[in-house]
Amino acid sequence: MNSEIARLFWSFSPFIIMLFIIGLYCIFVTFNLIRVLVGVEVLMKAATLLVIVAGAATGHIALAQVIVVTLIVIEVVVITIAAGVVIGIWRHNNSLDTRKIRQINDEGISDE
Amino acid sequence: MLLSLLILIPLFSVLVLNLPPLLRRAKVSFYCALCFTLAQIALVFFCVFNPQSIVVNPFGSLLELDLSADSISFVVLLSIGITGFITLLVAKYFICEQQNEHNFVSVLFLALAGLNGIVLTSDIFTLYVFLEIAAAASFVLIVINRKKNALEAAFKYIVLSILATTMMLSSIALFLFIAGNTHFASIRAAFNYSSHDFLLILASGLFICGAFIKAGVVPFHGWLPEAYSESPAPVTVFLAGIVTKTLGIYTLIRIVNSVFGFLPAINNLLLFAGAVTITLGALGALAQNDFKRILAYSSISQIGYIVLALGSGTALGLSAALFHFFNHSIFKALLFVNSAATEAQTKTRNVEAMGGLQAKMPATAFTSVIASLSAAGVPPLAGFWSKLMIVIALVASGHPLYALVAVLASVLTLAYLLSLQRRVFFGTLNADCAQVVEARAGLVFAAVLLALITVGAGVFFPFVLNTFILPIEKIFAG
Repeated sequence: MNSEIARLFWSFSPFIIMLFIIGLYCIFVTFNLIRVLVGVEVLMKAATLLVIVAGAATGHIALAQVIVVTLIVIEVVVITIAAGVVIGIWRHNNSLDTRKIRQINDEGISDE
Repeated sequence: MLLSLLILIPLFSVLVLNLPPLLRRAKVSFYCALCFTLAQIALVFFCVFNPQSIVVNPFGSLLELDLSADSISFVVLLSIGITGFITLLVAKYFICEQQNEHNFVSVLFLALAGLNGIVLTSDIFTLYVFLEIAAAASFVLIVINRKKNALEAAFKYIVLSILATTMMLSSIALFLFIAGNTHFASIRAAFNYSSHDFLLILASGLFICGAFIKAGVVPFHGWLPEAYSESPAPVTVFLAGIVTKTLGIYTLIRIVNSVFGFLPAINNLLLFAGAVTITLGALGALAQNDFKRILAYSSISQIGYIVLALGSGTALGLSAALFHFFNHSIFKALLFVNSAATEAQTKTRNVEAMGGLQAKMPATAFTSVIASLSAAGVPPLAGFWSKLMIVIALVASGHPLYALVAVLASVLTLAYLLSLQRRVFFGTLNADCAQVVEARAGLVFAAVLLALITVGAGVFFPFVLNTFILPIEKIFAG
């Protein structure tokens, strides 16, 4: 492992770390379920970029390509299921705001 | 025998069962799934007794996956087969609509393919792919009845699960960078020669964190009680019995044994996380009133035992972890079958609203006592032997303090499970439960079957030890 490869890898790392922080910030700050999914997508993108950089830096581009294509498919499946769940929550609550949903739940318990 | 069929058959079944002529034939798909789980159990026994006949992947050029099977895989494959079978028996009574039953079986097939793939693979990225297949299928299973609380529990589970897989994925990318390959053996080799110490520690830490979230180890256990208690009864049996354990614990065991090796730092982390999980899980269970939530917290606590056993870093600890893995999936499935039976008969999960059900539901009461005693580690039931092995492994590896935690927490286990028994099955009959009758025959059959396995594995412990558990020590890679 020579220093050239390591330098290429480290030069990309600030962007990857930034994407991770944006994604996590988005998940933890928002109260909207769809925005949580957007944050999750940004996180996945950070991980995908990391795979690409790792593949390019070490010269295993073919392997990295295979992995990234598979990842995109998996991501679509998981996000589709998550979006389906969000639609289900919307149909029950008519709201995507987690504060409002929690409020409805609490009231539901006190009614019983 | 052809072990790769365990992945291919479920995948093709999903395709074939959804072709137009068979579509909406819930009965056909149900019996297909039942036969498949039985065949899987038979196949595992065949492979254990005829190890020379194992051909893992005969379709090498058609299916380019790195598959391999060893004694660890057989124990987990057996647990998957048994739990899948029980899940189907329970599903017969809880997933009522025909179309829904068909969908349930299709998604269950996908989950089984994913789980078997996780167990058989020897490539870290393939492991990740199967992990996502199993996880995605389990998300759908939780919300299969479209209940409001289940949807919210599932959303929490999905977000945390994606966080976990992002961590695992980042660590896989780092391993790709360090080792230039994603095969277990090449990553293991990279641990010896690589100069990227910082990246190796980062990658290992991220992967273990991801596995902890998937397994529900404290402090990442927030999603687990809700997901377990809000999903439909058969799905709870499946999730608690095998899904979270394969996704989290099996992955952890496999990666620590085949890739990281039992480094002192990893052992200490596992020991500490295990001890905290056991204690907090048991204390959490003491505070609950909901039948399924008590069992969910008990699951967290028992998962702590498996992590603790793994942390001892010895061959005995590894085999104890796997034996407890098997025992836990049996007795926890049994307890969740019992909770399904009482929920179906009394229409409530609140244990305060039950009481004295023993007279009305003798079989359910009796089997749940067996499961509780096995969970608490009372001889001669199977749970006693695995806990004994865990304690011996901890003492032998020089961690008497952690062994003490394991023994004391076992008393806590007995406390919350006996309190559960007393509130649900013993005492005077609650006036609301006067009309209750014994659960449906299929549920009683499932419960009795699991109770027989628990008692059998305890009484015939030498046989179980020699055929399934001791071979694991040979593949220990200290």
